[in-house]
Amino acid sequence: MPKISVKIDDKDLEVEVGTTVLDVCRANDIDIPTMCHLKGLVDVGACRLCLVEVEGTSKLLPSCTTKVQANQVIHTQTDKLKKYRRMITELFFAERNHVCSVCIANGNCELQDLGYKVGMENVRFPYLFQNCEVDSSHSKFVMDHNRCIMCTRCVRVCSDVEGAHNWGIMNRGYQVRIIADFNVPWGDSTTCTYCGKCVDVCPTGALWNKDATQGSMQKYPQAVSDLVEKREMKS
Amino acid sequence: MSLLDIDERILDVAALADIVKCPLVDGKEFPQVDIALVEGSVTSDEHWHEIQDIRAKSKVLIAFGDCAVTANVTGMRNYFSKDEVFNRSYRDAQSNDGQGQPPDHFTLLKLHDKVVPLHEVVPIDFYIPGCPPEADTIFYVLAEFLNGRIPNLEQERKLKYG
Repeated sequence: MPKISVKIDDKDLEVEVGTTVLDVCRANDIDIPTMCHLKGLVDVGACRLCLVEVEGTSKLLPSCTTKVQANQVIHTQTDKLKKYRRMITELFFAERNHVCSVCIANGNCELQDLGYKVGMENVRFPYLFQNCEVDSSHSKFVMDHNRCIMCTRCVRVCSDVEGAHNWGIMNRGYQVRIIADFNVPWGDSTTCTYCGKCVDVCPTGALWNKDATQGSMQKYPQAVSDLVEKREMKS
Repeated sequence: MSLLDIDERILDVAALADIVKCPLVDGKEFPQVDIALVEGSVTSDEHWHEIQDIRAKSKVLIAFGDCAVTANVTGMRNYFSKDEVFNRSYRDAQSNDGQGQPPDHFTLLKLHDKVVPLHEVVPIDFYIPGCPPEADTIFYVLAEFLNGRIPNLEQERKLKYG
């Protein structure tokens, strides 16, 4: 693979052509927060947390879907980016109902960890307090839309890794929802294979095992990343 | 009352500050204070007036715990209308006999339609999230303020929700 040079946060780096900015940063101990990114899944740039500044363009670019170009100068930790990362985090919390104290993922939640990382001591936007559904029709799992941040990891793992295509997306804006099949209760889905990969990759308490209680749910997104890596090695 | 979770360290706090008002020292008007820790969200006209009064009389107002910071569990009634909540509690719940009526007496506080965290009503100077907040965090914040320093929960890795 041909190599190109880029400069990220004053570090001069030699990287392979075709690498994303996020992968370069992760390989060089440059910390960029993410929610929708998961190694092994196709990146979609949904959460906007990984935005970076690239000199020469006025737009902020999502580092997960932006491939490095030769001689680029990239900044990942500016005050502007930190301000936006905190705002995005607050908007996640304000849009739906993340009541940590009664959540099954309390203490094992990537959204909580994100809040701590960006220093969110309170949410400055008014909470929407949407009345979101809890779909407990499935025999093994529960989908709680109150905790969903629309990272779409579940949609991607179901279609790209499991190949079942159970999960989809309906509506836009704050009314956007994850749906099973053509918007049927999850328990009535004809495509779900009960594999549980969506539950493992979900970063919050939106998808969980039915036997979980407050604070007891552990997620294993790494299991899916490892699975994808093993398949790639085999082929 | 999570303040009591700091156990014997309350003596260290008492050495630096007079505790002049708390749910156990009741019945007096809210005095002028340097630091006020306020638990709970604003759910009614009574709370609304109370937090205005506390704000006016406090130099540093601290939102104390998830209910004060985010509305937390108390805000879960916001998904429904006030009438739905009242009817569910007093008339329609399975444990009721169906004859109950929501109470309506002029001496009772008037619930607002929506529960809001404190900072949506008055300016807040500092937030201690957590349900309940960690005892160490409570003591750290008080010790910093009482020694003339500004605490920083992010830097100290003491942020916690839930």
